[in-house]
Formats: sequence, C-alpha cells, structure tokens
Amino acid sequence: MTKKMPDYIPHPASYRDPAGFIFRTNGLYYRQVNRSYCADYEELLRSGLYQSLTGKGLLIPHTEVDNDLTEQPDRYKILLPEQIPYISYPDEWSPSQLKDAASLTLQILHIALDHGMILKDASPLNIQFRAGKAVFIDTLSFEKYDPALPWVAYRQFCECFLFPLLLHHYLSTGIDRIASAWPEGIPATVTTRLLPWKSRLRLGVWLHVLLPASIRRESLPGNRTLSFNKTKLLHLTGNLGNILARLKTDTAGRSAWNNYYQHTIISQAYLAAKEHLFREFTGDIGFRSALDLGANDGYFTKILAEKGVPVVAIDSDWPCIDNLYRYTRLQPGKDILPLRIDIADPTPARGFNNAERSSFTSRMPADLVVALALLHHLTWGRNIPLPEIAAWLSMMTGTWLILEFVPRTDPKAMELIGNKRSFPPDYDAAVLEAQFSRYFSVDKQLPIAGTERVLFRMRKKTFV
Amino acid sequence: MKVWLLYIDPGTGSYLVQAIIAGILGALFYFKNGWIKIKSLFSRDKKDTSRGNDKEDA
Repeated sequence: MTKKMPDYIPHPASYRDPAGFIFRTNGLYYRQVNRSYCADYEELLRSGLYQSLTGKGLLIPHTEVDNDLTEQPDRYKILLPEQIPYISYPDEWSPSQLKDAASLTLQILHIALDHGMILKDASPLNIQFRAGKAVFIDTLSFEKYDPALPWVAYRQFCECFLFPLLLHHYLSTGIDRIASAWPEGIPATVTTRLLPWKSRLRLGVWLHVLLPASIRRESLPGNRTLSFNKTKLLHLTGNLGNILARLKTDTAGRSAWNNYYQHTIISQAYLAAKEHLFREFTGDIGFRSALDLGANDGYFTKILAEKGVPVVAIDSDWPCIDNLYRYTRLQPGKDILPLRIDIADPTPARGFNNAERSSFTSRMPADLVVALALLHHLTWGRNIPLPEIAAWLSMMTGTWLILEFVPRTDPKAMELIGNKRSFPPDYDAAVLEAQFSRYFSVDKQLPIAGTERVLFRMRKKTFV
Repeated sequence: MKVWLLYIDPGTGSYLVQAIIAGILGALFYFKNGWIKIKSLFSRDKKDTSRGNDKEDA
C-alpha cells in the first residue's frame, strides 16, 4: 500500500531561509517553522516581541496550526498567517512606498532590540502593503541579539532601501527602475558613481555610501575582532533613520500625468458625466476585487474602493502612483494598492527558474477590470493591436470589464496620434466591439455626455 | 561568529564599515552633547537673568 503524499506546493521564492518556508495548500498560504529555528521562534513569542509588533499592526499575525500539513521531519510548527490579497514587489513601488517599507524595517529593528532580538535580514520582500499600510510579513526574520556583533543586514538595508532612495532624492528617477535593475540591491560602488557631486556634502553619503564603496577585501582586518555593542548599533541605526526621514519622495512638477484630472482633462462636465455613468455601471454588479488600469491619480480607483473590496491601481507614471499611495495611507478602511506598472511592459516572472517573483499578468487578475481612456494609449502610443489588448484583458478579467472608448476624432486622441494618422486603419466603437466579442459580451454601452467617448460594460464569456 | 546561521552575506567589510561608522557617530554624539552642555550653561544664565528681572518687575 502506498502512503498518500501530503498535498502542498512550496512557494518557489521561499528556499533561501533555512529557518522555514512558505507553502500553499487548499488555497491558503502557510509557513513552516523548521526545527533549526525553534529557539528563535520561541524567543519571538516568549519575549513579547510578537505580541508587541502584531498589536501595533507592524507584523502580520498568525495562528499555529495543529495539522501536520507537510509531514516533514524538519517541521517544528506550521503557521497560518493572515492572508494578503495582493503581493507586490519593490520594482512596482513608488518612492514613498519604499521609504515607508524602510522606516518600518528600522522601526521593527528597534522594537526587536528592546526585546533582545534583531532582524537577520532587511529585504524589501519582507514587506507588503495591506489596506494602504506597510506590514512586515516574514515571521522568521528575527533572531536572538548578540550585542558583540554589528547588524548582519546593514549592507542589505543600504543596498535595497537607502541607496535607491538617495538616488531618487537627488535625481528624481523613481525607485522602480533601480529595484528592477538591481533586485538584490544596488551596490555602494555603483551608487557612488550615480550620485551627483553635491551629495558629497552630506555626512550620511560619506558614511554609508563612499566609505563602504572604498573598503576592499584586502583591507579586511583578518581575524582581528571588532569591538561592537548596543550603543554603537543604536548610533548606526538611529543615523540611518535620520537620513531616511530627510529624503524626498515628492514629485513636484515632474510628471505629465499628475494633476491630469485637475488641469488637462477635457472638462469638469466630462468628468461629472463619466463619474455618473461609472457609478451606475459599478453599482449593480458584484465583485470581490478590482483592477484599475491606467489609474492616473486614482479618481475612479477611490470610487471602486468605496465598495470595501481590495483595488489594485496601476499606472506607468510613478508620480501618479506616489500621489495615490500618499492618499491611500491616510484612508483607513480603503484597501487600495497603487503600483507602477507599464502595461506594455508589465513585471515579468523573475528570480531562479523564473519562479521566485511571479509576473504581473499571472498575479493580478481581478473580478472587475477597469480601463478608462486607456486603449488609445496602447494602440497609438505603443502600437499594440486591438485583438492583442482584448486577449490580454480577458486574461486579467474575472467577470466584468468596464472600458472607456476614445475615438480617433477625440481632441486628446488626436494629440496622441500626431503624425500616425493612418495607423491603425479601422478604430471605432463597432470595431472595438467586434474585436472584444471573442472574449466578452457587451452588457451596457452608453455615450459620455458632451463627448464622442463611449463607456462599455462587458461580461467575460465563459468557455466550456 | 555563528557562521552556519547566517543566511545572507553581511558583505565584504560590512562589519568593519559598521564599526568605523558607529565610532564616528559616537564621537560626533559625544561632541554634540558637550556642545549642548556648554550652550545650556549660557542659556540657563539667560533664563536666570530673565527670572531675576521678572522678580524685580513684580
């Protein structure tokens, strides 16, 4: 007789830490604590650190599960953490999101030190956003603090948090491209070359960027022991906190898109008419999640969030995403996750075996997908054919799609079309409907008063 | 050092860097505290004077 194998899937990103791993079974994510980590896990609970952090909403709470779901000899405990509706990565975040994640890491580090523990890593992947707030999700990142040792994760903190934020402070580049190009953190040597000369007037840049960049392997002190203690560690981490607090994440005058709805939109009457229709279209349908594509400053994202469902809002423009994030974190109860995503180049599957971090397309499908005044940007701006867009939208859509069609005669579309007047040859509401009919059936279709634009509500066809 | 428990690389020279930075910050902290003490000596004098004036006014 063969023994039934336990039915679980280890998370492909969860192989790095020997303390345990994440796995999925019956549609839920669990975390196994390995025997090798049992002392630190018990210390996390015994010291009161777990209670302190979860009480403040800084660490994801969990319950211990009695069922042996993995049947592994290595298993010490199995935890069921509170589930996060959508996972995101630093290369999708705006500067304020990374800064909040950095501040949270330091805050948790200080609370841990008060309880005789320390963070053994400082990866931004330890942090996710839940209802507009950064929360630490890696319960196994804590270990007993040895005051004789410096912080093992100092370099990782600098490379993943401090350096991208310093570069953004001086260059206003956003942090998403830096995080994308250096997923393990941007080295001090590269940061030194990218930072402008005026940054060298800052003591923090000398200490945390130039000094580490100049230390080479041969200058290591060999077996000489370095004296270190808690006071020194607090000086170091306190200084990191002071530097962080002064780094800019704002975006004044940098974006073509923020203030879009205040200044560049066709008219306030158009916005009011569109909002009226949008509320009507979303009012009588049920959805448990929503995805707002090309969300801009989130005017319509906020309307979706009134329903109390998690809403992911994406835009290719990081200042828009940063503004929306800053709004979101002040709105308790509204679950908006703003992310910087370019639809023509969404986050690919990355990491070992292309499996550690999943692609945007596989991660973000939602019951309701909203694409307002977006198609013309993809067709004329990026030359993506309508059938390709329809196919992609059908992958992202669970049930409902709300689509705003902007015809080629629209003043905003004409600005975009520019000299590309002959491309694509046929682009009108009827063609759109025909192309989309392969995947969707049109449920409602109404013109937006005072414009030639049309708002569609479509239902995804189910294929048997 | 319990090397077998480290699952991330602290980085070449990271411990040395931290020792140097913490040393510099500690020294700055020491001088800053000294400076604050010196300043507070003078500001306390001023306060005492003003309190004295208040008394006289009263």
